[in-house]
Amino acid sequence: MKTLIIPTTLAQTKLDCDGVIIGLKGLSVNMPNYFDITDLKKIKNKEIFICLNKNMHNNELKLLEETLIKLNDYPIKGVLFYDFAIPNLKDKLNYDLVWNQEHMTNNYYTINYLKELGINYTFVSSDITLREMQEIKQNSTSKLLVTLFGYLPLFTSKRPLVNNYLKTFNLKDTAKTNYLEKEGHLYPIVSDDQTVLYSDFILDGLKESLELNYDYMVLNSFKIEPSLFEKVLKIFKEVNIDNIDDKNKLLNNLIPNLKKGFFYEETVYKVK
Amino acid sequence: MKVELLAPAGDLDRLKIALLYGADAVYIGGTLFGLRANAVNFSLDDIKQGVIFAHNLKKKVYVTVNIVLHNKEVKLLIDYLKELEEIQVDAIIASDMTVINLAKKHTSLDVHMSTQQSTLNYESVAFAKKIGVTRVVLGRELSKEEIKEIKDKVDIELEIFIHGAMCASYSGRCVLSNYLTNRDANRGGCSQICRWDFDLYNENLEQIKGLKNFTFCSKDLSLLKYLKDIIEIGVTSLKIEGRMRSIYYIATVVSIYRKAIDAYYKGNYIYDELAEETLNRVANRDAIPQFFDGNYQENCSYYNNRIEISNQDFLGVVIDYDKDKKIATIEQRNYFKKGDVVEFFNYKQEVFTYKIEDIYDEDNNLIDIVRHPKQIVFLKTDFNLDINTLMRIKVDKSLNL
Repeated sequence: MKTLIIPTTLAQTKLDCDGVIIGLKGLSVNMPNYFDITDLKKIKNKEIFICLNKNMHNNELKLLEETLIKLNDYPIKGVLFYDFAIPNLKDKLNYDLVWNQEHMTNNYYTINYLKELGINYTFVSSDITLREMQEIKQNSTSKLLVTLFGYLPLFTSKRPLVNNYLKTFNLKDTAKTNYLEKEGHLYPIVSDDQTVLYSDFILDGLKESLELNYDYMVLNSFKIEPSLFEKVLKIFKEVNIDNIDDKNKLLNNLIPNLKKGFFYEETVYKVK
Repeated sequence: MKVELLAPAGDLDRLKIALLYGADAVYIGGTLFGLRANAVNFSLDDIKQGVIFAHNLKKKVYVTVNIVLHNKEVKLLIDYLKELEEIQVDAIIASDMTVINLAKKHTSLDVHMSTQQSTLNYESVAFAKKIGVTRVVLGRELSKEEIKEIKDKVDIELEIFIHGAMCASYSGRCVLSNYLTNRDANRGGCSQICRWDFDLYNENLEQIKGLKNFTFCSKDLSLLKYLKDIIEIGVTSLKIEGRMRSIYYIATVVSIYRKAIDAYYKGNYIYDELAEETLNRVANRDAIPQFFDGNYQENCSYYNNRIEISNQDFLGVVIDYDKDKKIATIEQRNYFKKGDVVEFFNYKQEVFTYKIEDIYDEDNNLIDIVRHPKQIVFLKTDFNLDINTLMRIKVDKSLNL
């Protein structure tokens, strides 16, 4: 599997990885940072994916289309999308699209259908089991990405929820990232022009990286101290069947808040 | 073309009430593939009965098939879609592209794009049209101007929510329920974590404490105030949220919007503040226009100071009426007693005020209090009552339906 990182800084794009996923100002959400399109020129010798995953409104379509067309002139591999406005503009683009509706990319039938429509990549959801991820690989010819390390976005809203709370109770705080606490669990919450709540844990897919034969594994640097992130990246790059126990121990010593998410647990939806 | 009033129905009784009280169409969930897994929901036989009932009234039934599918669920899907086609449902509502694809490939069903896709712009709507969707249920984050622009740019049926609860997130973009309670929000198990309280901390992990705790919770949506504007935009369908709601809620909300829509087409529509108050009262929650008027800031949020004391206005349902003896058979829904002043309201928008005097139970005993759920009692009235007329307590102000 190739390794993609979602960097917080441009400096991190120089880390030892195969590629990067970059968010752009005004068109992305759930990203640790938002870059200018001209920053892409500073990224060398990496596969570059651009994540334009906002839910778009009419008044953002002009910027979206201009940006998509400008990206034709950059050496990018593909654009990750949430909103189907982007596939609707596909005929104007010379790069691949990556279906990235983070909680909906859950079955291979839809992945295959979108491939029929010319969408050759899917960023598979983290809300499904490892078994389901493997089934997707076995039954799909699309190129597949999956997050194997990092906080997971759980909630995205157009509402500025933290600011609303501060205003209602006449409170002041200028932090971009806050935390919500419930029953001892701390959830990072980012509120700028939208609100995103992240998981209270960092997904650990180290062992699973040996079991999933995907095209790309994604490591997200959001809220991970840069020197730690570099070490984590090294562990994921070096792990193999022979050293998994040592690497696993190393990772757990570095990062205390690791969990396996839904790799081994199915959600339920009918309460008896 | 007159705008469609589309109501929710959690079961066959509510389907009938919604249609009788003035909805042009209802949306329902089957026992499979719907986003309200914990509602009663409709078996295929129930759906068939509902479709026959609706079609006899020249009304429509749409079936939600709007879960986000996992691999194993797809296997059952084609047969289910074919059954829905055979039953002659008027459309399905889908969010997963596989449902849309298989419905187009294997059936002649009309497909409506669910609001779970949070479709908010004309390019996305154009994409939906391209893949064969006949109607798009727009996301709730849109202003009047945005909806109009979409309508002007893409020739397709548009449906918008006009009333009911709101997701705090973009629909489909929340898995709080999955991660906090293991219940899958996008497969019908949402446990409404957005209504929980949380403590808010700053970056240094110092608590930021207001008078109430932080919550994601949003007030409800009501677009009664903007009904004229909405109709004039030219959308096809106006949707009421709430497949888990009671028959009283559905009857009341549908009646109010039915009356307002009919008044608009007769040229005498006036925004009725009393009707708005009734809408708030029946839901026990404040309802505001939300994104439609561009105001989605702090006034949209609830911070656990919401009034959600169970509403006990709804007293009973008329299940029979003996015209010769002028005796109504009432099935109880909430406590009432001799001396209460009540109102009967029906789908013809008639309201009868009545002071309860003699109450007889099933053994013909005279009783003073009706306290048992679904207890059957008999009241003598001077006016005729239709079956499915509802009885509510009379509040100080007329409910003005």
